[in-house]
Amino acid sequence: MSASPFIRKEINGIRVHVLPSGRFKTYSVSLYAGSPLLEETVTANAVIPFVLRRGSADYPETRAFRARLDELYGASFGFDVYKRGNNQIIQFRLDAVADRYVSAKGGDGMLRDALRFLIGTLCRPALENGRFVARYVEAEKATVQKRLEAVINDKIRYAAERCLEEMFPGDPFRLNALGVIGDLEAITPASLFGRYRQWLAEAQIDLYVAGDVTPEAVFELAAASFDAARETPLPYRIGDPPAAKPAVKRVEEALDVSQGKLNIGLVLPVLVPDADYPAALVYNGILGGFPHSKLFVNVREKASLAYYASSRYDGYKGMVMIQSGIDAKNRDRALSIIEEQLDQLAAGRLSEAEMAQTKALIVSQLKELGDSAFDMIAFDFNSVLTGVGRSPEGLARAVMDVAPDDVVRIARQVRMDTVYFLRDRQGGEAR
Amino acid sequence: MKEIRYGRLHETLYCDTLPNGLEVCLLPKTGFSKTYAVFSARYGSADNRFRKADGTEVGLPDGIAHFLEHKMFEEPDGDVFQKFAAHGASANAFTSFDRTSYLFSATRDVEENVETLLDFVQSPYFTDENVEKEKGIIGQEIQMYRDHPDWRVYYGLIGAMYALDPIRIDIAGSLESIAAIDKETLQLCHETFYHPANMLLFVVGNVEPERLMERIRSNQAGKGFGAYVPPERLYPEEPEAVHRPVNVTELAVALPKCYFGFKEKKPAAGGAALARQEAATRIMLDLVLGPGSELYQALYDENLISDTFGFDCQMTDRYAFSMIGGDTRDPERLIERVKEGVRKIARNGFDEADFERQRRKRIGHFLRMFNSPEAVAHEYTKHRFRGIDPFGWLDVYESLTLADVRARFEEHVNWDRLAVSIVRSGENR
Repeated sequence: MSASPFIRKEINGIRVHVLPSGRFKTYSVSLYAGSPLLEETVTANAVIPFVLRRGSADYPETRAFRARLDELYGASFGFDVYKRGNNQIIQFRLDAVADRYVSAKGGDGMLRDALRFLIGTLCRPALENGRFVARYVEAEKATVQKRLEAVINDKIRYAAERCLEEMFPGDPFRLNALGVIGDLEAITPASLFGRYRQWLAEAQIDLYVAGDVTPEAVFELAAASFDAARETPLPYRIGDPPAAKPAVKRVEEALDVSQGKLNIGLVLPVLVPDADYPAALVYNGILGGFPHSKLFVNVREKASLAYYASSRYDGYKGMVMIQSGIDAKNRDRALSIIEEQLDQLAAGRLSEAEMAQTKALIVSQLKELGDSAFDMIAFDFNSVLTGVGRSPEGLARAVMDVAPDDVVRIARQVRMDTVYFLRDRQGGEAR
Repeated sequence: MKEIRYGRLHETLYCDTLPNGLEVCLLPKTGFSKTYAVFSARYGSADNRFRKADGTEVGLPDGIAHFLEHKMFEEPDGDVFQKFAAHGASANAFTSFDRTSYLFSATRDVEENVETLLDFVQSPYFTDENVEKEKGIIGQEIQMYRDHPDWRVYYGLIGAMYALDPIRIDIAGSLESIAAIDKETLQLCHETFYHPANMLLFVVGNVEPERLMERIRSNQAGKGFGAYVPPERLYPEEPEAVHRPVNVTELAVALPKCYFGFKEKKPAAGGAALARQEAATRIMLDLVLGPGSELYQALYDENLISDTFGFDCQMTDRYAFSMIGGDTRDPERLIERVKEGVRKIARNGFDEADFERQRRKRIGHFLRMFNSPEAVAHEYTKHRFRGIDPFGWLDVYESLTLADVRARFEEHVNWDRLAVSIVRSGENR
């Protein structure tokens, strides 16, 4: 296995990972703060980054905060809140043009300014009376509410979220990573500040920096700017894969839509750390990961029923989501074609070409990671999160070694769990 | 083969025009694994009328450029996705108003994959049966977009601005228009618009320019394309005024969506003028409504806009407009407040320091783009087709002055030229 290109050090209770590389025109900074996905804290945690991006102690007014980013040659700053299995990850990103492109002298002034800005945003928020600024908290609660409400605008996403909700009752995994609208109202500037302090103390924090840098410079800057009080972080946990329901759950819902959305949740009881993970990737690739996959070829190309028909494997939870947009009258036909593909795979009917093409594309995706600093960072973080020291090259080799029998073994463990169908309001009663 | 060095960008571009007219540009990226190739025709959804060399006029069914894009993937021995996948490449394509692009991304077998790309786009295979079959697939694509509020509000705005220009027609056409498409018309479009002299191949990534250019040259030499007689493209005379002030569409959405924008009175002529117009428009919009502006913050504080709020502009020598907006609880109030904010700016002018910051931001965005092979390839193609120097943006931004931006503001932000598009649910009216 090739040595990891990241150089790491624990500093002030956080893990700092540095990838020195001259290939990129920017300094790419990613900070991951993760904690268990829990009903009680999911919503408040989600509001935190929204409030933090309104202002820091150095730039307490939002306009000054944003003007600072513009000054740094339009450094792009953003954040994301998402789930990795039953962990809630809050990721901050900053991408700033490297010094040598904007300064005749070179140096690392931009790197220093960028890191100071990002860490300051996380550790030293704008405060009033010892808590978060009330008008920021109120406005950002409204923003999160709007985001949650807007899920219905994108019917593909809405159907996927509804299918998860039906598939995982009672499991926080069913929730949107931004939480629950009903829990927003109770959040106050004081309560949120309390949650923030606790979250900042016990979240797992991983800081990544990639670009034309030296590890020493980054370690020094991190040591100088990260000064939050830290407790022993709650470890990332990848739980057990779900058990499939004894009988397939079928849900149909009607909305004012032109196109029906068929979503099928499958249990695939293999997780990222498992030895079978590469085989599960190949299984999903043959089923519906690509335009040569069974779903695309049979639902779209042969039957002409859909524009998209694909599957996505989530190895942090142990499931596969199939999705397709179809005319509501074709629901049964599409469903039976999809079931037939699942059965074919379980019966071992897969060709040499399907195996070879799927492996080639997965390997290509893994190789491509190296061209994007943020993709390399994301892959490495996922390995840190799951505690598996897989490199992209190691995973690629393991994928190449997957045999047809391995794929069939996976296929036989797959269970259909939930079938969710979103349809139009015409065409009769919802069943 | 020309070698063009862009010293400040630390990039070198290799370009050549082959004997058959095909323009090829190669951008090697040292240390990269991936190669990304885009093969594009100057032919998009808006090129729907033309005059042939013999003088006859042809009107094409709506959506045919996009239909053709779908159909190119089919070959006598199956579809080309599998051929690419066997060489570790994933392929795709898209159609816009003024171009059709076919692309792949791969980490090995670059030369084989480039040949596959050239070959499949240059060899149509249409049968009555495969054309019929595609209608079901594209029909579902059209239905999918019908349900998409961002797409609907975007088209609502273009339809409000433009009375006649074919950009107002949905790129995919309609269920009715695609029903009329047959293999003969597809063949005609391919012959008319897919001649190498009407196309550009851009390859970026892990490439050896000399070798790859040689491979492309010999691939093209064997194909016997005749001399290109460009068709005369016919576009209707678009009235200067906006077509209608407001378009409202009903669709199930959580909050109304509102896009508004200004239709350029007279688009700039020539690449250099277009580039300056686009750059000045972007900086002007940044100053008026960007996330760092006073007005943006005020609208956000009044709960009239959210993170979905943004803007863009399209500048070509035929159509040019800005597009501003996002989700809002109250579209009418939003427009009203923007008008007030603009009046204030008209009185007080722009701040020099703000202007410098926005200029820096745009320069930073341009430099950052080079981290993404995909973005470089598409931006290059788009601007090249519009006659704009694709890598010349540093000079453009650096030569702009506050006076240019002020002049752009006076000229572009003209309330008589405002069009508005709203998508709202029946119940949140």
